[in-house]
Amino acid sequence: MAISTARLPGTLAARPRRTGLRRWLGPDYRLGFLFIAPTAVLVLALVAYPFGYAIYLSLTRKYVGMPPVFVGLENYVRLTGDGFFRRAVQNSLVFTFGSVGVKLVIGMVMALVLNSRIRWRSFWTGVLLIPWVAPTVVSALNFLWIFDYSLGVLNYMLVRVLHVLPQGVGWLSEPGTAMASVIAVNIWRGFPFFGISFLAGMKAIPAELYEAAAVDGAGPVQRFRHVTLPGLKTIVIIVVLLSTIWTFNDFQIVYILTRGGPGGATQVLPVFTYEMAFGAQRLGEAIAVALYMLPAMAAVIIVLARYMRRGRRA
Amino acid sequence: MQTAATYGFLGALLLVVVFPFYWMTVTSLKSEEQMRSLLSMFWPTPVVLDNYRQLLARTDFLAWFGNSVIVAVSSTFVATAVGTLGAYGLARLRFLGRAFMSSAVLITYLVPPAILFIPLYAQIRALGLADSRAGLIAAYPSFTVPFVTWLLMGYFESIPDELEESAMIDGATRFGAFWRVVLPLAAPGVLAAGLYAFTQAWNEFLYALVFITDVKLRTLPVGLSTFITGDVYGWGYLMAGAVLTTLPVILAYIYLQRYMVEGLTAGSVKG
Repeated sequence: MAISTARLPGTLAARPRRTGLRRWLGPDYRLGFLFIAPTAVLVLALVAYPFGYAIYLSLTRKYVGMPPVFVGLENYVRLTGDGFFRRAVQNSLVFTFGSVGVKLVIGMVMALVLNSRIRWRSFWTGVLLIPWVAPTVVSALNFLWIFDYSLGVLNYMLVRVLHVLPQGVGWLSEPGTAMASVIAVNIWRGFPFFGISFLAGMKAIPAELYEAAAVDGAGPVQRFRHVTLPGLKTIVIIVVLLSTIWTFNDFQIVYILTRGGPGGATQVLPVFTYEMAFGAQRLGEAIAVALYMLPAMAAVIIVLARYMRRGRRA
Repeated sequence: MQTAATYGFLGALLLVVVFPFYWMTVTSLKSEEQMRSLLSMFWPTPVVLDNYRQLLARTDFLAWFGNSVIVAVSSTFVATAVGTLGAYGLARLRFLGRAFMSSAVLITYLVPPAILFIPLYAQIRALGLADSRAGLIAAYPSFTVPFVTWLLMGYFESIPDELEESAMIDGATRFGAFWRVVLPLAAPGVLAAGLYAFTQAWNEFLYALVFITDVKLRTLPVGLSTFITGDVYGWGYLMAGAVLTTLPVILAYIYLQRYMVEGLTAGSVKG
């Protein structure tokens, strides 16, 4: 179209009359403000305001049904020395990095499989994405049942069918296996998102790059290392950071499978926050638990937001 | 060789993904005696519907299902309407504060519910909406709206400007160009975004757990989780409930898979 090549920025809404307001508020300000108003109101009322209120509450001593008493940083100071809290931080880090690391590897395998010449590719893609769309509570309950000590199918397989274990394992009730088990469930639910995102990235890599690499004598492994991986860099960073935030704040899986047990072995920060707020009814401290890691999380969010916007423009 | 490895990995992934759903379905169709006996582990013999009957007759499952439908459908409509307008504004219109609002939407999309649930609960209670479906409908846009807006911004940006320009040269207003030219083209994206909003609302657990105390007003995910009793027979109707909770999401997904797969990658990764 001739119009598109000749278009200058600003011509789109340039009307004969350019009032002062238009100049300050932008050419489309009326419709723009109208369209964005509902979003702005919801973001303010449902995220910005509660977030500010959370920060305030974390600086108070607040019990359910009582007015808050301002105590400064007392909650944060107390948490820093609290053994249960430190353990929850440690568990959250193990849970998050263990899970994200494995999801990265399995997601890459999934993307490579779905990007190769196999039959019914789009059907398999759809099937492999199911854990991501199925309700997390259902998945957690499924695994609670699979991991069950006396009647669970996992112990049945290992003991009675494959004979690899002399007797069953209490997957979720023994401190040695509980963390690995909840991590496994988080991986199961989350890896399809890695796979589908990497797959989209692989499809965007120009075929000429692979052809050129093949002409230069690169084998499949070299092509993966020198063409695929560099091409996926931005997507890998975005997906890893997104998943880090989501996994760090995952409440449902741990709450349903172990409630942080046995003996605090899988106690992660979101569940700890919940128990502090609605079990112990100490709201101020509970919010301090949730906000303690905020500086680190904010750093991740800011870096991620930058990459996501850049990914959009590319 | 390479093909064999590819199919090997595919088979392993499929097994891991499908088995829990298979197992859930098989369990829901087993009789109590069979479950206790560990006989014919992987197939229900005989196939019985006792678990479903008990689930529907003796628990509040149907009430929870209704609550989930009401809450998820209403918040999906709110999120899709608000998000579509907001996304178009941010992607296409030029006005003061646009860049700031784009960042704000993206950042709110990334702020986790684990930080917000306590103050949101205080707010919902102050409004007198605690322990009601209206409270959940009011709270769910906190995560559905930023998500829908962000996803659709990418979608609108991928539709060429020239289409609107020519519509406006032909005499359409700015709003007319949006309503009659861009929106129809963006319909698949809007559909995908709406479906994701629905799944998110349908699956939501933390707010529903915290905001609702009345047993009859629970949503499905929270209601199901209260079935965990440790009793053998409990597993039968729990899995029956799990099957019926998964069904609407999976059916919508199968029907609209193409849009959802495209929408997901468009929203999170590329534009």
